[in-house]
Amino acid sequence: MKKLMTALLFAALLGGAVTGCSSGSGAVSATESKTETAKSSEKAATTASEKASETEKSEAAGDVTIWYYWETEGHQKALNHIIEEFNGSQKEVKVQAKYVPFADFKKQLSIGASADELPDLVILDNPDHASYAAMGIFADLTGRFDVSTYYPGPVNSCTLDGKLYGVPFGSNCLLLFYNEDMLKAAGCKVPTTWDELLTTAKACTTGQVSGFAHCSLQNEEGTFNFLPWVWSTGATSYEINSEGGIKALTMVKSLVDSGAMTKEAINWTQGDTMNQFISGNLAMMINGTWQVPTMRQEAPDLKWNVAPIPMDKKQASGLGGENYAVIKGGNEEGAVKFLKYATSEETCLYMMNAMGYISSDSVIAKKQFKGDPVYDAFVEEMQYANARGPLPEWPDISDAISLAFNEVMTDTSTPEEAAAKAQAVIDGIIKK
Amino acid sequence: MKRIKSFFRYDNIGLLYALPAFLYMLFFVGYPIVSNLILSLQNVTVRNLVRGSRDFIGFDNYIKLMHDPVFLRAMFNTLLFTVSCLVVQFVIGFALALLFQKDFSFARPVRGLLMIPWMIPMTVTALIFKFMFSTDVGIINYFLKSAGLITENIQWLTSPSTAMTAVITANIWIGIPFNTILISTGLTTIPLELYESAAIDGANGRQKFFKITLPLMRTTIESLLVLGFIYTFKVYDMVYVMTGGGPVNSTHLLSTYSYKLSFEMFQYSLGSSAANVLLVILLLVGVVYLKITMKGEME
Repeated sequence: MKKLMTALLFAALLGGAVTGCSSGSGAVSATESKTETAKSSEKAATTASEKASETEKSEAAGDVTIWYYWETEGHQKALNHIIEEFNGSQKEVKVQAKYVPFADFKKQLSIGASADELPDLVILDNPDHASYAAMGIFADLTGRFDVSTYYPGPVNSCTLDGKLYGVPFGSNCLLLFYNEDMLKAAGCKVPTTWDELLTTAKACTTGQVSGFAHCSLQNEEGTFNFLPWVWSTGATSYEINSEGGIKALTMVKSLVDSGAMTKEAINWTQGDTMNQFISGNLAMMINGTWQVPTMRQEAPDLKWNVAPIPMDKKQASGLGGENYAVIKGGNEEGAVKFLKYATSEETCLYMMNAMGYISSDSVIAKKQFKGDPVYDAFVEEMQYANARGPLPEWPDISDAISLAFNEVMTDTSTPEEAAAKAQAVIDGIIKK
Repeated sequence: MKRIKSFFRYDNIGLLYALPAFLYMLFFVGYPIVSNLILSLQNVTVRNLVRGSRDFIGFDNYIKLMHDPVFLRAMFNTLLFTVSCLVVQFVIGFALALLFQKDFSFARPVRGLLMIPWMIPMTVTALIFKFMFSTDVGIINYFLKSAGLITENIQWLTSPSTAMTAVITANIWIGIPFNTILISTGLTTIPLELYESAAIDGANGRQKFFKITLPLMRTTIESLLVLGFIYTFKVYDMVYVMTGGGPVNSTHLLSTYSYKLSFEMFQYSLGSSAANVLLVILLLVGVVYLKITMKGEME
C-alpha cells in the first residue's frame, strides 16, 4: 500500500516535471500548454456559475477586450489612440486591447476556444481566419455589417460557406524593394523577369552584401513570401507538383545555389529581412507594405524604391493583412459598435496611414496616399495580389509548401522530389 | 469505530499527511493527463474542437504518428539530444566538481560564476547561441576560421546536418552546473579517512578515483543521470527559439513537434498523442528512478 502510494505520488510529481516549471520563460512547452488548456477548462467548468455572473457584470459595464499581435510600436500606438478616442466619445462601451505575441497567438486562441475564455474581438492574420471560423468561435456578421465597398480578396478571407465571419481590417501586399545605389553601382536596371533578377542579384552580391532575399521561414510567413513565384507561373497554391510549381522551386534553388540569395533567409522573419536591407546587407528583397513607415523612420537617408516582383508568365503578389472577428457569445453588440467606429472613414484613414496598410475598403483606399509613389505602387499591386485559402486546413497546406522550399533551399531534396511530397499532402487535404 | 481508530495508527497517519499533496496532484496533474489521453484517442481538429461530435478512433493517431517521418525523426532526435547532452554534461560536470574539490585560490568565486548558465533564462541562452552560431557574423565561425580549422563558414543553423549539433552544444552548456553541483555535494559525503588510509596503503590517484570515489558515488550518479534524463528529454524552449524545429524539420524534438501539430497545424489529437509518447517514456524512466531511490532508502 505504502509502495503504491509512493508510486502514485511519484507519478504525479513526474507529471509536474513534464508539465511545469517553464512559465517564466515565455515559450511554453507543448504538454504544459495542454495542461493549461485542461486546467482552465476544468476551472471553467467548476466555476461556471461564478463566471456567468462575472460575464453578466462585464456586459452591463460594456467591456470589450481586443487581442492583437502587432509588435511594431507605431501599430500599437495607433490602435491605442483610436481606442482612447472611442472610449472618450461614449460611455456605454469600454474597450481595452491586449497584446499577444504572434508566435503565441494561434495557441492562445485555441486554448481560449476550448476553455471558453476568449476576448470579445480579435484582430488576426487573414489566412487563419477560415480555421477559426470553422471552429465556430466567430459570430456570424452577415447582414450586421456592410462590406459591399470592400475589395473581394479580403472579404473572401472572412467568408466561410457563404457567411461573413469577420471584417477586413486592412490589407497589404508584397513588392520588390531595391537599393537604388547598389543597383546603380552594379550597373543594373530594375529586374522585371526571373532571368533579370538572377543576373542582377548576382551582380549586386559582394563580400558582405547579398543580392537578394525574402523571408523563407518554414511557417506561414515564409509561405506568404514564396507563393508569388508559384502564382507567377500560372499555377495555384494547390498545384505545387505542376510544371509551374517545380519551376518556382527551381528558381529559388538557382538563386540560392548561385549565392545571389543568402541561405540565412530561412531563419529570417520579414522584419529581420527588412533590417538587413536597411543595414545595407541586402541589395533587393521582397517585403510588404507595412514595412514602409519603419524603413522611412529608421533609415531616412537610404535610397530605395519598389517595383513589381519579377515575373515568369504573369504579375503576382501575395495578399496579406488582418481581419477583425467578433467572438461568438462575447459582448457582440459592444464589439460591433467599436467595429463600426474603427472602420468609419476618418478613423480608418488614420489607422491605415499610421500603420502603412491599404484599407480593404476600396472607397477609402482610393483616398489614401495621394501622390506617394511607393504607396501608389502597392495600391496598384493590390489587383495582382492573391489570397491564401480560405480553407480551414490552410495551415497544413502552408506547412507542406514551406517545407518544400526549405528542402530545396537547404539542398535536401530536388525541386521535383519536394514538389511531389508537398503535393501528396495537399491532395490528401483538398481531395477529402 | 474500532476500524477508524486502527486506521489512525502510527503507520497510516503518514498517508494522511500526504493526502493534501496527493489530492492537489490528482487534480492539477492527474486530470490533465487523463484528459490528454482521451484527446489522443479522439479525432479533434479545427472542425470539432468547440462544437460537433468527437469520435473515438482508438489508436489511429498513434499508428499515424508511427508512419510520420517527421515524428520518427523527432523521436530519434530526442534520444540523440538526451543521450549526448547527458554524457558530455556528466563528464564535464564531474571533472569540474573534482577540480573545485581542491581548495585553490579563487575556487569559491569561480564556482559561483559557474552557476551562471543555470540562472539565465533558457530563451536568453537560446538567443545568444543563435547569434553565436550565425553563419556569416557568428563568433563561433570567426574563431574556427581564425584558428585555421575551417576555410568556409559552417552553416550551423541553416543546414539540416549541423543544426542538431548546434542545439545540443547550447544545451550542454546549460546543463553543466546542475551536474557539477550534485556531484560536488556527493563528493563531500565521502569520508576523507578513506582516502588517507588508501594513501597509506600506497594507492595512486587513479586507484583512489576508481576504487573509492566512483563506487561510493554510485547512488548519486544514478539519481543524477535519471533526473538529467527527465530534464533533458522534455526540453522545449531551447529548440523552439534556436531553430523552431527547422531547417526542414531536422531539429524537432517530441516536445516541439507536439506543439507544432497542436497549435500551428490545429491537429489537436495528433499533437496530444505525440505528447503522450513523451510522457510514457518519461514515466518508464521515472520508475527506474523510483527503484533507485527506494533501494537507497532501504540501505
